[in-house]
Amino acid sequence: MEHRYDIVIVGAGGGGLFAALEAVRANPRVSAAVISKVYPTRSHTSAAQGGVNAALGNKDRDDTVELHVFDTVKGSDYLADQDAVEYLCSQAPSVVRELENLGAPFSRFADGTIAQRPFGGTVKDRCCYCADKTGHTILHTLFEQCLRRGVTFFTEYFLLSLEHADGACQGVITLNMATGAIETFVAPVVILATGGHAKMYWNRSSNAAGNTGDGQAAAFRAGIPLKDMEFIQFHPTGLRKSGLLVTEGARGEGGYLLNRHGERFMARYAPQKMELGPRDLVARSMETEIIEGNGFESDAGSYIELDLRHLGAEAIRKKLPQIRELSMHFEGVDPIEEPIPVRPTAHYSMGGIDADMARTAIRGVYAVGECACISVHGANRLGGNSLLDILVFGKLAGREAALEAPERKAHGITPAAVRRVADEIRSYASHERYERYGIIREEMGKTMGDNVGIYRIEERLRKGVQEIHALRERFRRIRLFDTGTVYNTNLIQILELKNMLDLALCVAVTALERQESRGSHYREDFPRRDDGAWHRHSLCTMGEDGEVKLGRKAVTMGKYPLETRSY
Amino acid sequence: MERREVSFRIQRYNPQVDRAPFYDNFRIAVEKGITILRALNYIKEHLEPRLTFRSFCQAGICGSCAVRINGVSRLACTTQVWDLLTGGGDEPIRIEPLENLEVIRDLVVDIDPIMEKLKRNQSWVEPAIPEEELGRREHRVSDGEFETINAASDCILCGACYSECSMMGVNRDYISPPVLLKAFRMNNDTRDTLGCRRLREVTADNGLWDCAHCYKCMEHCTKKIPIMDGIHRLREEAFARGMTHTEGARHAQAFFDDIRHIGRLREVTLPLRTKGVLGSLGMVPLAVRMGLKGRRPPLLVKPIPDIERVQEICGRLEANREGEAAGAQHHLPLHPASRSGGVL
Amino acid sequence: MKYAYFLSCINESMTREADRALNLWKQDLGIELVNLEKGTCCGGSNLDYVSPDHFIIINGRNIALAEQMGLDLVTSCSTCLLTLRRAKQLLDTSSEKRELVNSHLADEGLRYEGTSDVKHLLWVITEDYGLGRLAAKVTAPLSGVRFAPFYGCHILRPSALLGRDDPAAPMSLDRLVEALGGSLVEYGSKNKCCGFHTMLVAEKQSLAMTGNALEDAVRSGAHYIVTPCPLCHTALDAYQDKALAGRSVSGNIPVLHLSQMIGLALGYSQKELGIDRHMIAA
Repeated sequence: MEHRYDIVIVGAGGGGLFAALEAVRANPRVSAAVISKVYPTRSHTSAAQGGVNAALGNKDRDDTVELHVFDTVKGSDYLADQDAVEYLCSQAPSVVRELENLGAPFSRFADGTIAQRPFGGTVKDRCCYCADKTGHTILHTLFEQCLRRGVTFFTEYFLLSLEHADGACQGVITLNMATGAIETFVAPVVILATGGHAKMYWNRSSNAAGNTGDGQAAAFRAGIPLKDMEFIQFHPTGLRKSGLLVTEGARGEGGYLLNRHGERFMARYAPQKMELGPRDLVARSMETEIIEGNGFESDAGSYIELDLRHLGAEAIRKKLPQIRELSMHFEGVDPIEEPIPVRPTAHYSMGGIDADMARTAIRGVYAVGECACISVHGANRLGGNSLLDILVFGKLAGREAALEAPERKAHGITPAAVRRVADEIRSYASHERYERYGIIREEMGKTMGDNVGIYRIEERLRKGVQEIHALRERFRRIRLFDTGTVYNTNLIQILELKNMLDLALCVAVTALERQESRGSHYREDFPRRDDGAWHRHSLCTMGEDGEVKLGRKAVTMGKYPLETRSY
Repeated sequence: MERREVSFRIQRYNPQVDRAPFYDNFRIAVEKGITILRALNYIKEHLEPRLTFRSFCQAGICGSCAVRINGVSRLACTTQVWDLLTGGGDEPIRIEPLENLEVIRDLVVDIDPIMEKLKRNQSWVEPAIPEEELGRREHRVSDGEFETINAASDCILCGACYSECSMMGVNRDYISPPVLLKAFRMNNDTRDTLGCRRLREVTADNGLWDCAHCYKCMEHCTKKIPIMDGIHRLREEAFARGMTHTEGARHAQAFFDDIRHIGRLREVTLPLRTKGVLGSLGMVPLAVRMGLKGRRPPLLVKPIPDIERVQEICGRLEANREGEAAGAQHHLPLHPASRSGGVL
Repeated sequence: MKYAYFLSCINESMTREADRALNLWKQDLGIELVNLEKGTCCGGSNLDYVSPDHFIIINGRNIALAEQMGLDLVTSCSTCLLTLRRAKQLLDTSSEKRELVNSHLADEGLRYEGTSDVKHLLWVITEDYGLGRLAAKVTAPLSGVRFAPFYGCHILRPSALLGRDDPAAPMSLDRLVEALGGSLVEYGSKNKCCGFHTMLVAEKQSLAMTGNALEDAVRSGAHYIVTPCPLCHTALDAYQDKALAGRSVSGNIPVLHLSQMIGLALGYSQKELGIDRHMIAA
């Protein structure tokens, strides 16, 4: 079955939905469709608890866009492209206010303005929030507005490939999950907004099960380079047993991190900012404490304590209700009574599709949000900037797409392309295959966690690369046991694993390549930042044989020259 | 770590090969602390790869994994297996798809009807700010106004209330609890301008007045949102706006009138006042049969003793309508701008 | 054991037999019920949205009347129970609301203090009186009689407000049946909705709910349905023929009030207990 649209948006999280809204507003005559493998309000945007940064000046009246820019550039360990950061921060106030105007609820100050609170790595308190469910309320608001505008949705459609010809976008091939049919969407413009890929760390990740980087993998296979893949952010406070996130907001509200001696050890690592240092710094500090024997031990692994008790029951109930629920449900701990056991968890992927101001190397293909690497986050993302990123660049891509689409025509997607995809899917059911999904996935998670984790060193990274290679090889013999066509989740799991393996290879290879420490990428054998040799983006492009070809790209500098980063 | 063997009885159905749903049994070793979702994942990975269910965030935030567990709609990812094991018994834990929605396969149901109802009932904020002005300034919203919609905005559209709702069980066209909750949230957002129009849609047939008041939605809401309170506040708004020409509103009005006049319900005229003369005709046969068995309400109802006291109280309340006292649960003047906060 | 008694409108009129049955045996158990003569209709589920102020003042007054007697307030109607308990919770948790209510009650010399609890007759029997004690008083055990207990919504939900039974698996009425010597049937509708509250407004749908519960009970092989709520009784009994019309279920099932079932076990006759007044013959 073939569909034709001017614009196809893949992904219905904050980025995809805002792109859709902006597209239909910028050009009401344009036809747009949003494709998503989950119902829009399921998207992982809903899990963003902390808030969205914007220099509104409601709290710190002397906050400025410029200060926000500097915080972001510094936080990125100077790897972010400063022109993109300027754009991100300058658009922040209007984008946040626009969301508010469209009905997004926010916590408020006494004067009725949007409330702002401190967040890691910023000099001013500019994180706008709605209790501890900012992502959830923003996502629902955007979905509601899409209903209002009559946006067309194709829900539970899985992205199989990105098609192009002569350097121009032709559309995407998808799997209709409800029927098992392969359906093509011919479109001259595609916006990829498929979310991040940190789930490759599986149990040591805070991500949803479906954050498997489908857009990145499709772009990679279509020949679009992926940028800065080695940079994976480990959020300091993931619940010990499940990796689920305890928002930075808990520290923003005043929570303490304690080692087993009851010490607020951040005093030794970030004396000024303490628990509110940038995430990579805090995560490494916690990991160091654990490695040095200062952590707590348990059957479920080592951990650090996040103590909220001194905030008081009322403050916890009012401002951090979701965290309290998570903690009680998944750790059996009530933060009013006891500290929460936490440890760093793979949380965010700074790297992704190389997308200069949202445009990729293929004409008509855009990428926004966590699946993209513009780059505004560089080597380390500040809390509160991710929600901002998806909104600002989602909106930008939506507008540009709406203006560009009428100028372009897509010829179509070849039957050969469809056959290739169909054959591949059919082949998974072959009786000659014998590898099991669960086993390969567990091993992938383990090797990534052990060898490409917070602390990296050459021999382990090499091992990681080797093991991922081996897993990819074994994947060629993975067996699909469910041969049904209706809602085949076994097939989806296998397709998602394929995507994760391709991306995991990129992460491992670029991590091995980068011989310095910068932001969230920490090399024990190269513990210092080496701007001379390494102040550049890394690029991964797929070779003919499915291998990763490495490349480089310069960082766009601006007002802020390189400096050592300290907090 | 405590471990034991647990049986699961899971409803299966693949429309391609099965004529009707059936139950499949699995027995696995689980340790204390494991959730139903983790058990399902384990079964899928190790025993039955074709077991089909939805899941995403695994943290009780996205609402994907709502299913019926031992007959009650819940999120699989936040339900502890251990909590379901009764005493020392070996009863299997029953897992079935949500009710009132078509089964696509196994535990996956079609939730498009919910999305369609949300759309039909204008479940969005329509601000007064013109397009070109969006993003310049935020609305000023008080903490009280935020609190009014705070709990309602927790809704993750998991569908548990839709599945539990008694009226949904007998009428697929019923507006449904999540849509009513959204209508409450929108109508009580001081930035929204649709209020009246939305309420008109919401009070149409199969709408607000058809809620049977069973409280199942609120009882089983996975985010503990007091949904029935929201439904009551919507009905209150209908009264405040004078949208009372429906049978449901007239029914409620009759109670109010009787209390004010005689302190007791005048049951004999209740159907007439609710449904009008024509509408009540259908009840005549039953009324006659009941009358023959001596089962009829008294034709004349005496006022309660001291009814004057009650009438005084009502008189005072009605005179003070404008300057409403602090105890008013939720007062809704017709102009959104002057709306004061209240509790859900 | 002495309580203020909230009769409820329907027990005064259409389901008079429930009240008469109660009056037959309450003394046998030493339970004294003082009618709330000056109490008004509670407004059912409806009053609070016609006027929240009327709702809270009228029901605050009802409870204050019981407080004036120094007694807890007991009712045999589940909707009255829920309505009164909702008012009570609002008053107990807000000094502002109490002030409002008391300002209106001052003229009558009444005051709401929160000193009276609001209970259902079922709770009085199962908790205050005790099933063991009750079993000892049984002179005509209901042996061989199979009951389908129908709780009805408003004695179960919201459990935060009522809290005696787990709404998903209530047991108190079941245990009462057993204490009286009766036996129970397994059927899924015991905690479902009978549809009474929308019977006038959405009759077809309400009858579907009533019919589902009835069909379930009939198929389970029960001899009687027993219910603690006169509104559920009305739906299940008075509307039974309409509800079962068109369904392939053979026969009817008589519906007993809670007070009638207890009366039978305590030795009273069907006629005395008014069971012959029902629409569906026993």
